[in-house]
Amino acid sequence: MKGRGVIQKKICMLGGFAVGKTSLVKRFVTAQFSEKYHTTIGVKIDQKSLCVDDTEVHLVLWDMYGEDDFQKVRASYLRGSSGYLLVIDGTRKETLDVARQLRLLASQSMGAVPYVLMINKHDLRESWKVTPEMYKDLASNACLVLQSSAKTGEGVELAFLELAKQMLKI
Amino acid sequence: MASGQGAKNNSMAGSQQPSSSSPRFSVKESKGFSHLRQLLLAPEQHELDRLKTRLDQFSLHPKDVGRVLPDAIRLRAQQDTRLLASLIPVTQEALALSIKQSPQLISDSIAPILGSAIRKAIAHAMRGLMQSLNQTLECSMSWRGLQWRWEAFRTGKSFAEVVLLHTLRFRVEQVFLIHKKTGLLLNHVVAEGVSGQGEEVISGMLTAIQDFVCDSFGQSQDEGLESIRIGDLTVWIEQGWGAILAGVIRGAPPMELREVFQETLETIHAQFSELLQAFQGDASSFQETRLQLEDCLQAQFEQKSRGLPWAFWIVLGLLMLGLGMWAFQAHADQQRWAYLLERLDQEPGLVMTSIQEEGTPTIYGLRDPLAINPDQILSDIGYSSQQVVFRLKPFMDLTPEFVQKRAMIQLRPPSSVVGNLEGTTLILKGEAPHSWIQQAHLLGPLLPGVTHIETRQLVDTDLKQFETLKAELESKTITFEVGNSDISLDQRSTIRDIDQTIQALDQTATILGIFPRIQIQGFTSPDGGKEVNQSLSALRAKAVLNELANGSFQAINLRTVGVGSDRLPALSSTGKAVSQERRVAFRVILPPPASVPKSRR
Repeated sequence: MKGRGVIQKKICMLGGFAVGKTSLVKRFVTAQFSEKYHTTIGVKIDQKSLCVDDTEVHLVLWDMYGEDDFQKVRASYLRGSSGYLLVIDGTRKETLDVARQLRLLASQSMGAVPYVLMINKHDLRESWKVTPEMYKDLASNACLVLQSSAKTGEGVELAFLELAKQMLKI
Repeated sequence: MASGQGAKNNSMAGSQQPSSSSPRFSVKESKGFSHLRQLLLAPEQHELDRLKTRLDQFSLHPKDVGRVLPDAIRLRAQQDTRLLASLIPVTQEALALSIKQSPQLISDSIAPILGSAIRKAIAHAMRGLMQSLNQTLECSMSWRGLQWRWEAFRTGKSFAEVVLLHTLRFRVEQVFLIHKKTGLLLNHVVAEGVSGQGEEVISGMLTAIQDFVCDSFGQSQDEGLESIRIGDLTVWIEQGWGAILAGVIRGAPPMELREVFQETLETIHAQFSELLQAFQGDASSFQETRLQLEDCLQAQFEQKSRGLPWAFWIVLGLLMLGLGMWAFQAHADQQRWAYLLERLDQEPGLVMTSIQEEGTPTIYGLRDPLAINPDQILSDIGYSSQQVVFRLKPFMDLTPEFVQKRAMIQLRPPSSVVGNLEGTTLILKGEAPHSWIQQAHLLGPLLPGVTHIETRQLVDTDLKQFETLKAELESKTITFEVGNSDISLDQRSTIRDIDQTIQALDQTATILGIFPRIQIQGFTSPDGGKEVNQSLSALRAKAVLNELANGSFQAINLRTVGVGSDRLPALSSTGKAVSQERRVAFRVILPPPASVPKSRR
């Protein structure tokens, strides 16, 4: 059990189907649970410890199943989150719309909590179809917008760290 | 007041001047100058003196130190741990001194917390010790224990683990206190020997599963999952408005445990209601729920209905068996002894007069020499001759059985004779030689318990032999030629047979003590004259006597008689029959019976 000075925070990974949420989590943590949870109950939970300004933060990551026509993100899973990572696939413009819907759902379920907008798959930069203009509405309220790659690890640590910092400020 | 103080201060200043002030003032100082200086600079001088005095005495002023000490300690402690290090020995010594000087005070101060802590610690340790001791005792050397050791060896598990799995009814292995809204872990306790891992993630997954189930079946969050079962593990979940209590239980928990969980959750809600509402991820405040959660870590092991360890039952069983065997043996011994006494009592020819049962049992009494050997009875019943001692004096038993038995032994009859006592008469049956019958008649009245010997049913073999020989002799004839009294050659062998028969008769008659007479009767055919035939028949009888007279007979007396013809002349006869008429025949004549044996006596 944690001692004094340890803060736990629940955060969610939100984004469309196959935007790379699970890969980002994998980059960030050593996964404990099977991927099967995604398809069965629609969420897989992992945990990662961070240190923010001498405060130990335990992030409990709720990695949601990518929303598509077949499976919707359950609002109940978002309840109690202190923040979230909104992930867009840079190579697919349609993931922007999904992100917008999820952002709406998140604000309804969680209230005004910080989020980090991640334009993922930066390793495929040449195939990107998404431009900053397209997601400027999503970026306006985000505490951080960054281009990331689960493949190279670019932006991953930073995204989680920044989100943790923002969550602690509240 | 002010002038007074000034004068005092002045004098103080003056007295210190040789050491602290410049010497040139003291040299050149005059009374007027000093007065002028006092007039011009008195207030400043006074202030200077006051400050100087205070500066000199500052470090020693407890009031000032007391004012700054708490802040000073706090600030210094924040800086580093040196102050703490410095205080440790002082505090230790102070504490030691305090305990030494007023132990009661310290004792009173810590008693409320220490007593409870000690009781809890001891109870916990004793519980663990008893449990471990019981299990070790029960499992170490029993057959089941050996099986479990084999299982532990086979599966690679520790013996303790195998014992636990087999003897456990239920055990709460982990208890999670989960914040309901966020699914974050508030506190988590595990039972001894159980390793908790990833409890924060498990907490999240439990919440997610609950959410999933509630969403899927349209239930409200307050009616979430109550129980999850995975193999031998059960997760019981209690819902509260702010927190969830989840207990991971191995085995089959009783329903009472639910109540424990519910009460614990209610208590936590009552105590931490504000903290639960305001929870932002800092679970440190919920550390205080540890004791309450640990109360949920209950376990129940197999109730041993037998209550006592198997070794006790084995010893008790052996004792009971021993006691049973002893009782059985004692009973059997008693029965055997009673049977022995009964048997001895019923045995003919044995009379018990007294019994001494102390030490080696000794039986005193009388024994007829013809009675059974008492050692034989002992052997039949299973005693050795050393176990029971007989002190028996000989006596004569006059019961009919013994009288008969004794009589038959003393008479030494041939095997063909049986005796039967009726009253005082010994009735003998069978066959016996004449001499033995005679002896029996003589000895009979002398036998104890016998007055008469009855031999009417006893066959005298010698007399029987005599009768047989007599009949044989009387059936034989010697035939003669017509008108002739000479014994022809072909009749010689018949003469020899007759001679041997008469010899045998003589021997038998000697044994019987009788003196029979054998009449040798001569016969003729009717042919011829009567006188001639009379004379011829007498010649023929004498001729035979002469042949037989060669043998000497002890008891038999031979006589001849000429009968003549014993057939009437009118009767005709065949030739063969006529030749048979010219013969000599024999007739054995016994003397009157009464006189025969008596004459021999």
